[in-house]
Amino acid sequence: MAKTEKREEKKVVETTRSLSEESDRRELERTWVHGTTMMFLFAVPIMEGIGLYLVPLMIGTRNVAFPRMNAYGYFVYLFGGLLLYGGFLLNIGPDTGWFSYVPLAGPAFSPGKRVDIWAQMITFTEIAALVGAVEIIATVFKQRAVGMSLNRIPLFVWSQVVTSFMIIFAMPAVMLASGFLAMDRLVDTHFFNPAEGGDALLYQHVFWFFGHPEVYIIFIPALGFVSSIVVTFSRRKVFGYTPMVLSLIATAFIGFGLWVHHMFATPLPQLGQSFFTGASMMIAIPSGVQIFCWIASMWGGELHLKTPLIFVLGFVFIFVIGGLSGLMLAAVPLDLQVHDTYFVVAHFHYVLIGGAVFPLFGALHYWFPKWTGRMLSERLGLWTFGLMFVGFNLVFFPMHQLGLKGMTRRIYTYLPETGWGDLNMLASIGASVLTIGVLLFIINFLYSRRAGVIAGDNPWNADTLEWSTSSPPPSYNYVYLPTTQGRHALWEKTEDAPVVVGLKTDCREVLATNVMDAEPDHAYQIPGPSIWPILLALATAESFGVGIFTPWAFPIGAVLAFAAFFGWFWSDPNSENREVKERKVKPKPEPSVKLAQQEEGA
Amino acid sequence: MRTRDIAGSAGIPACIERREARTTVSVLIARLQARNLALPTRGLRFLSAAFLCLFFSGCRGGIQSAIDPAGPQAGRISKLWWLMFYVCSVVFVLVIIAALIAVVRSRSKQSKAARVEKITDKPKLSLSKAEEQRMTRTVQGAVAVTVVILFVFLIASFSIGRSLSSDMENKGLVTIEVTGHQWWWEVRYMDTNPSKIFTTANEIHIPVGQPVTLKLHSTDVIHSFWVPNLNGKKDLIPGKDATIWLQADQAGVYRGQCAEYCGLQHAHMALFVFAEPVDKFNAWMDAQRAESVAPSNESEQRGQQVFLTSPCIMCHTIQGTQANATTGPNLTHVASRSTIAAGTLPFTRGHLSGWIVDSQSIKPGNHMPPIALNSEDVQALLDYLQSLK
Amino acid sequence: MSARRVLDVSGLPHHSFEKDSVWWGNWGLLAIETTMFAIAIATYFYVRQNFQLWPPPLTDTQPPELRPLPYLTVATLNMLLLVISCVPMILTDLAARRGDAKRAHIGLIACLLFGALSITLRAFEFSAVRFRWDSNAYGSIVWFILGMHLAHLITVTLEAFLLTLWTSMRKFDMKHRVDITVVAVYWYWVAAIWILLYAIIYLSPRFSY
Repeated sequence: MAKTEKREEKKVVETTRSLSEESDRRELERTWVHGTTMMFLFAVPIMEGIGLYLVPLMIGTRNVAFPRMNAYGYFVYLFGGLLLYGGFLLNIGPDTGWFSYVPLAGPAFSPGKRVDIWAQMITFTEIAALVGAVEIIATVFKQRAVGMSLNRIPLFVWSQVVTSFMIIFAMPAVMLASGFLAMDRLVDTHFFNPAEGGDALLYQHVFWFFGHPEVYIIFIPALGFVSSIVVTFSRRKVFGYTPMVLSLIATAFIGFGLWVHHMFATPLPQLGQSFFTGASMMIAIPSGVQIFCWIASMWGGELHLKTPLIFVLGFVFIFVIGGLSGLMLAAVPLDLQVHDTYFVVAHFHYVLIGGAVFPLFGALHYWFPKWTGRMLSERLGLWTFGLMFVGFNLVFFPMHQLGLKGMTRRIYTYLPETGWGDLNMLASIGASVLTIGVLLFIINFLYSRRAGVIAGDNPWNADTLEWSTSSPPPSYNYVYLPTTQGRHALWEKTEDAPVVVGLKTDCREVLATNVMDAEPDHAYQIPGPSIWPILLALATAESFGVGIFTPWAFPIGAVLAFAAFFGWFWSDPNSENREVKERKVKPKPEPSVKLAQQEEGA
Repeated sequence: MRTRDIAGSAGIPACIERREARTTVSVLIARLQARNLALPTRGLRFLSAAFLCLFFSGCRGGIQSAIDPAGPQAGRISKLWWLMFYVCSVVFVLVIIAALIAVVRSRSKQSKAARVEKITDKPKLSLSKAEEQRMTRTVQGAVAVTVVILFVFLIASFSIGRSLSSDMENKGLVTIEVTGHQWWWEVRYMDTNPSKIFTTANEIHIPVGQPVTLKLHSTDVIHSFWVPNLNGKKDLIPGKDATIWLQADQAGVYRGQCAEYCGLQHAHMALFVFAEPVDKFNAWMDAQRAESVAPSNESEQRGQQVFLTSPCIMCHTIQGTQANATTGPNLTHVASRSTIAAGTLPFTRGHLSGWIVDSQSIKPGNHMPPIALNSEDVQALLDYLQSLK
Repeated sequence: MSARRVLDVSGLPHHSFEKDSVWWGNWGLLAIETTMFAIAIATYFYVRQNFQLWPPPLTDTQPPELRPLPYLTVATLNMLLLVISCVPMILTDLAARRGDAKRAHIGLIACLLFGALSITLRAFEFSAVRFRWDSNAYGSIVWFILGMHLAHLITVTLEAFLLTLWTSMRKFDMKHRVDITVVAVYWYWVAAIWILLYAIIYLSPRFSY
């Protein structure tokens, strides 16, 4: 007896040798880098990035309002991404989650610099999202094509405007959350230290005050994609334009009243929780309105079942499931069971992949011809959809089940007696199918870029202005800016629709129109390419990158930033001096629409 | 996600180890499954669950399952789940049918006629007023139905939410203090008489049919207490007090697990709730209140000496000896527990020795340092620990 | 080429004082910062719930002080200074719109002086809060709010400084005249938000626990 036990003992020791702290930590780190990347480096940036590319085209202007600030935002984003992945590759990636709850992420329980890298990178990359949002708002409000009054703005542009406003009011919260965390770790403040009057729940409040709107920041631009695609491929006026716009705005407002539903399991007063349950369910109404309107548009239209529309149909299927499981999570009692389980993992992948990534792939298929001048292969597109759709559902549908069967989130392993193995295996198989689908898209993309059918300006015979310029568009988008007479600019274009002439063609001059009615107001030059935005981004990166190690990085960074800002300001080419030298290029004198505006000022 | 079989990894003949590892828990599972088979009235739900996941079987019968309730609270929540599941399924099916009909009835003539690369049909700009109005009314109706459904859900959620705590508040006869640690659970049975208070770890015994009050604390990071068969979860937040009530209506063993990420070994922070008939429960309480049994033979005596002279004493308590540190789990009646390392391994001599000699390779990063002991000392220590019933 | 109706915009002005893109961009950034302050203020009141006394007692002085309220003098002076500084800013704004270079310069320089003085006074305000940032959560949040506002004060003063440099060394051109009116908006915002912060940090602990 004693002998067998001895042998057994030896075996246990031997067999468990292979497990090491290192490999477990890496396993978890990969998950955290995945979450951080998707939330901060993928989802928001790609939606804003597509917005920054398409919005000027779609509202008929030559460029965004502040191209240099745009460049600054991009470089900040790049450096932030390098910081996170640099840390991960050097094996100092985040180890307390993509959410980094305190006190686990606080100085007492996470020594070392892993959390500091995460926190500084979060604060840092949000700057990029914020300047992008300001950019989009100013561009849409001031640079729309003549005639594109507020009630004629394409739904996609509305979705970008609403998202930008949400970014402005949500992102500062996460910057403060990660900033407070970094300060607690770096200079011994006590924001989250209960021993000195701080509060661990405060972090969750501030984090989720950003975190929930974030979901809608990702999701609302996707609604814009869907609206564009549905209108084009159902060949009819959009059904319910006004309710759709109001739904977007309502979603944005309600989106700020839901954050506590991520905290139902914390000891909070029950009455407060009821409010958030109500709000969380309420948000289903605007989402429902939009789904119903799209179905109505399709019902009353003449459909072309092209890949983009197929992706939209996939979106409806997946997103409705995600939305309905969202209702379940809004109910406090049920949430207490499935919160922090794989049910939630399933839910938010249904909402984010179904609600954002499927529309995104639809959008990539839809705008690819505009972007590259060539068509994607329709056959490969359908295969991409099929594999992604099947793969996605195989990965994530079983997770609902796993969650109900007690599988908690954020675990790197589980014991065999839990019985979760089979469904997890199914999910892994699904993941491979999903991956093949995405790879197929990449192949289609690379192939069609070189060898696809030439698209022409408007292969889908679509309605919005971006299809009126050449494919791919020139860097200045339009030589002569278009004007619009209706919501569906190209469909409702009359024979005698005027184009705008008189803007300079030898410099970046854009037309500013007024906010409500988009009547021409003034024409101004936006600055050209410049080195200073990169230098300012480097100064910002110095603050946050070196700020991982010492608080002195911030005053030094401020001085550097001022130097860069001085250069930016002083090298401004857009001065009156240049205007004096301007070459008056006037288009041929053709019949002209009279203008009421008078020259004013110098 | 990588499954790890702690006992059977690294390519050794796994069957022995695996059987071994499963002993305790598989007995528990068998017991629970027997109980469930006795409840055939849920066949309908079983079917719908099967419909929910076309590809799995045996949805029910989990010892850590929210839809397999064993107490009034989990029972109410699972009723709410089924209500929402059925209603949502119907909504989903209707929406998808509407979308499919829209697609089928409205294919354009051009795309029906030929596979076209580019679209050339004219868009419909003048729409039939009657049809637009009909669609508007339908959409309005659908929104109205949505609102009604939301109200039903809201009311169901509120009423069930309130009943979860109000039914039991202040009715718990037994009060248990549960403290979360990285990565194990400290369990303290409170009593008005201080001498009757006792402490154990990772396993909670409760009497069947009685509400039990659990006071939750954390001394390090945030954990979350969750035994899905009995109730929803509650976070343990340092500096905040939280209370949860449990009641089991059926005797059985229910597994729980920490549900808030609490560091590297979050995955290995399980606990078991043993719901027992009242007399059995009382007997268990009495046994736990007693001091530890004295060593009864030479080897056990030597084991006790090893315990008291090695680093063990720095962290653990054994009531009735000089060991009274509280950093690690209380070991006074450790041999009465069925698992070690917070549900990670079954309590067997082999696993126990592996754990003592090199816990870091079983649960990497845990706070128990490796103890350097010679083989005889280990055997004596095991003898002693196994005697602590 | 067939004849086509065109809208000739070559006659339009090149700048506008009425809410152009820069005005919107500026307000966008200020909205971000306002949100920052709003959340910081929410944090202030949230943390306050954890204290029985606010500010918490000061124990390392002789005798210990039960309610070490932040000193008022410097902060009040600073608030008045910032409010008064809006007057030269308004005059500068009007002069820039009129195209009156001389008055605009005088106004800008006056604002610079006000800004510099206010920044100097702020240095004393940190010590008027009787705790360090690392003493307790009260100290942390108050220092944070003061510091953030100081950062804005320095930024807006430097912006005014750059505009002074440009318009005096180079040209009092339309673009920078528009910029002056936009910086003025920023200046008013810095002053207005300080009134609110002053009331919260210095006055609110005096009226209640």
